Amino acid sequence: MSGSPCAGQSGSPLGELERKLGCSWKNIENARQRTRIALQQLSKIIEGKPGPDTSVIVHGSLARHECTQGSDLDWTLLVDSQADAEDQRTFLAIRTALGSDSVFKDLDLNKPGPEGTFGALEFSQPIVHFIGGEEDSNSNTTRRVLLLLEAEPIGVRRAAFDRVRKGVLKRYIDEDRRLLQRGYERKGVRWVPLFLLNDFARYWRTIAVDFAYKQFDRGNEGYALRNFKLGVSRKLLFASGLLACFWCDPRISKNEKQEPSKLSLIDCLDRFLSLTPLERIALFFTKHLNTSESEFLRETARELFCSYDAFLGLLNDSDKRQHLKGLRQEEEETDEVFKEAWKTRRFFRRAIQDMFLGEVSPLRDLSIERGVF
Amino acid sequence: MAFIGFSTGALELGNFQEALRLMSGTSMTAVELSALRLHELPVLVSALRSLNLEQFSYVSVHAPSRFSADEEGGVIELLRQIPNGWPIIVHPDTIHDFEKWTRFGNQLALENMDRRKPDGRSAEELSRWFDRFPAARLCFDLAHAHQCDRTMTEAFRILLGFRERICQLHISELDSAGHHFPLSYGTMQAFSEIAPLILADSPVILESLNPLPGAGDDVQKAWIELEAHRASAAVGREEMFPVASTLPGQITIPSGSVLA
Repeated sequence: MSGSPCAGQSGSPLGELERKLGCSWKNIENARQRTRIALQQLSKIIEGKPGPDTSVIVHGSLARHECTQGSDLDWTLLVDSQADAEDQRTFLAIRTALGSDSVFKDLDLNKPGPEGTFGALEFSQPIVHFIGGEEDSNSNTTRRVLLLLEAEPIGVRRAAFDRVRKGVLKRYIDEDRRLLQRGYERKGVRWVPLFLLNDFARYWRTIAVDFAYKQFDRGNEGYALRNFKLGVSRKLLFASGLLACFWCDPRISKNEKQEPSKLSLIDCLDRFLSLTPLERIALFFTKHLNTSESEFLRETARELFCSYDAFLGLLNDSDKRQHLKGLRQEEEETDEVFKEAWKTRRFFRRAIQDMFLGEVSPLRDLSIERGVF
Repeated sequence: MAFIGFSTGALELGNFQEALRLMSGTSMTAVELSALRLHELPVLVSALRSLNLEQFSYVSVHAPSRFSADEEGGVIELLRQIPNGWPIIVHPDTIHDFEKWTRFGNQLALENMDRRKPDGRSAEELSRWFDRFPAARLCFDLAHAHQCDRTMTEAFRILLGFRERICQLHISELDSAGHHFPLSYGTMQAFSEIAPLILADSPVILESLNPLPGAGDDVQKAWIELEAHRASAAVGREEMFPVASTLPGQITIPSGSVLA
């Protein structure tokens, strides 16, 4: 799983990291290229349909720029305006346009999953107002956290998305009472937004619990493929969210101009979260590769991105993907494709653990102090 | 000492003479002469020499907010008659021919736009305008910034990027359709979040629409003082009104208070 020397991914933190490590992650680049084409075509399909206070948002692999053969077309129509029944008509028009068989055939995408979280209309008010408490349902939490971690507006109507995302961030930052204050026993101010970090952690654990629920609900159908995704792309999502919280600390972002103000933190998070999860991780490594821990970080980055590249390569192999999807639990131990997936997942897990908890990792102290207890 | 006052169009739509009369005898020290509608501009320009502006230490003019490319030359000729020291507030989207506006240099003050407009709303969009007009200044409209982004993060970005260019602030409440209103508690709270980043001497021009047109002069003048007090409190300038004000009906406003 070693990367071959060459350049790619120009203009993104991934490209810079490839150059610094002398690697090329072809499967990642192919997935990004495939995503670019898909997003362009999807933008054309919805052209002229969303109103000024709405945004069509894609989630999942499309938002991560990791589209492979058979990726789901997960989308929502976000409304941030005065109540207007016309929004339902807009939604239906977009659903019809995005639901035609030719879309899935031409772009090689699958329809959204059966849970009803995607291919749906969503409103800004519950997303911004209900954080925690009885009203914060599983789907509300999912929509809110994905809006931060794994979402991209398509087409020209992006303002509603931008507004709501900043609105959500403001809730987490404003209500974190001791954020940017000196603790009673600590030497410096607390930069890490714990309200946000706790919600990311809660979401990650919810995914893991829902994994078991789906296993129960669907009678183990598709277990191996879901398990593979849980251990790699879902884990990446959480890791990139945890990193976003740590990125508020100027020691981690290496941003000497970071101001100790809440608006400055919202600005910092908004910019960081506008990157894809892989780009967020890549940016961290590029910022820290010149330090004394650089050899450890180089190895960790190589292992992390090479294993992720292998993950996407496997998902993009339709035979292997279908094989994993149909694999029965009792066949796993002897199955070669499952072993390959398991090995990739294990490498990725080790790299993520090293990134956050390695002895010389710049994230180690924060991970232990803020991320565990 | 920072200056504060009203846009004449907010006090009396289309009647700057009447607006100036309402402000006379108040503590207002700044005024924006509004010619938002194209037909108001020649009337305003021809009256400039006869206006009594002695009360005001800061004067600006707001250019029309809509005119065609064919009308642009005439607008510019009229604006050329504005005294050099008075900033000319311009909506970026009204500009058709950039070359024609460069001659105004730092007299040109571009205003950040509300969310109905397709450009000039964010720090990123404004930076492209300032690339085209490097000498231009900024009329920072807090209500527009607040309407585009309730969290005021975009306002924060605009201030970080262009604070030194600001020649005046626009302050008011704006609904989602773009109508101006007197300040509410929530809006004052939002403005106060970015107040520490605003230079202390930036003049404040209120665009809060006069809710009492036709009422007695003393009632309208009292409202002018009250709204100005609320605006100065919202941007952290209580020192502009150090003594408790009294409204008709003997309502006392403690210094520094934020009223709903």
